[in-house]
Amino acid sequence: MSTQESNFQRFVEVGRVVLLKAGPHSGHIAVIAEIIDHNRAIVDGPTTGVPRQSFPYRHLTLTPLKVKALPRNAGSGTVKKYVEKEEIVAKWDSSSWAKKRAAVEKRRTLNDFERFQVMIHKKGRRDRVRKLLKSSKA
Amino acid sequence: MARSKELVHGVGRLSRSQVFARRALYKGQKKGETPKAAEPAPTKEVTVGGEKNGGKRLVPTSKASRFYPAEDVPQPKKSRKTANPTKLRSSITPGTVLILLAGRFRGKRVVFVKQLESGLLLVTGPFKVNGVPLRRVNQAYVIATSTKVDLGDYKVDEKFTDAYFAKGAKKAARSAEEEFFSEGKPKEKEAFPESKSADQKEIDKAILASIKKTEHLAKYLKASWGLSKGEYPHQLSF
Amino acid sequence: MGSTRLYSKGRVLGHKRGKRNTRPNTSLLQIEGVSSKQDADFYLGKRVAYVYRAKREIQGSKVRVIWGRVTRPHGNNGVVKSKFRSNLPPHAFGASVRIMLYPSNI
Repeated sequence: MSTQESNFQRFVEVGRVVLLKAGPHSGHIAVIAEIIDHNRAIVDGPTTGVPRQSFPYRHLTLTPLKVKALPRNAGSGTVKKYVEKEEIVAKWDSSSWAKKRAAVEKRRTLNDFERFQVMIHKKGRRDRVRKLLKSSKA
Repeated sequence: MARSKELVHGVGRLSRSQVFARRALYKGQKKGETPKAAEPAPTKEVTVGGEKNGGKRLVPTSKASRFYPAEDVPQPKKSRKTANPTKLRSSITPGTVLILLAGRFRGKRVVFVKQLESGLLLVTGPFKVNGVPLRRVNQAYVIATSTKVDLGDYKVDEKFTDAYFAKGAKKAARSAEEEFFSEGKPKEKEAFPESKSADQKEIDKAILASIKKTEHLAKYLKASWGLSKGEYPHQLSF
Repeated sequence: MGSTRLYSKGRVLGHKRGKRNTRPNTSLLQIEGVSSKQDADFYLGKRVAYVYRAKREIQGSKVRVIWGRVTRPHGNNGVVKSKFRSNLPPHAFGASVRIMLYPSNI
């Protein structure tokens, strides 16, 4: 057995920011306020429209974000204060994970003409890259 | 037959005229009186010869028929039902870009012009952009996209009706001999009527002008549509 | 050149059936990408074509079609029931069918 400490950082813990994967608030982030048992936790998202509720872990994804020093079983008001202080929502929105999700969501809602325009622009980009590559090789 | 309770299957208690009287439909509102054409007098006076015949006599102008049907011939009931006009789907308005799903031009994106009397949609490519002429299509075979070409206050000519698109009567068949010998030869093509191509240009002019205002829109109309791998129509928004 | 496919792909799962009896006048189809009753709603009423090849030519073509319609969902997993003009033969089981996009309501 090596005595080296694990460098695993992303635990289920009070203050962990999670992404909800199911239910009416699917796609929103929330904070773990209290751990109920091995299956569920109380999550709360006062700034993201997620009401305080128990949520099974299998419908959650852990994010690398964490609200530091969030007291155990903090009420919605306290959670809100901490989340706002640490600007969790802004941090999440600026992460590439959130950006990717937003982009996928955006692509999904495009109409036929917009999809066509995306295709045209992608073609244009491809063309420019290819030409540049060729000229740099020569 | 509600008032005329059936005695046995197919035979009502009341006669047809009794039912009519009881239903009292004649009491309904009268539509405006139309002046009737003056009826010819039912009788006329005729001078008759012979002393004992009184000299004059009233005689019906037209003789009653000597024959009459011995049995009542049942009149088929007149249906008062009429088909409702076809409703236009709410997603389709003049200028909407439609995707044709079936027929010769399937997969093409076209511009909706107006709905015709029969409920069919009048669409155009425009012809210059993607080769689809002025054409009628059924809205069941069309996907309406949310893209619209702004037609402004362009007035579509009244002459575009279903009759405009009806095929003319076939020309009289040529002689059998001629037909026999022309077998195998390609039939000479009839020229497209000049007036129709002028109509096409006329309509397309307005549409083309507004298509030019949006970037890529002409290209979009020129391209045809199809599902590729991983694209599911129930997930797409048009 | 983009794709020109104007239909969704589906697969014939079999006839409607009970434990022991089959009801060949209704066939079950699984449509690609459809995994819930809500998704299946889009396809109700749509025309279905089972296209196959046969030995003998009819009107100069060895390709034949049996047309049908999607009638209703079958359970909650996106499988649908469909009726064909003539019942699908058992050798069609597992074959792919075309779910046309008409009659359209979008």
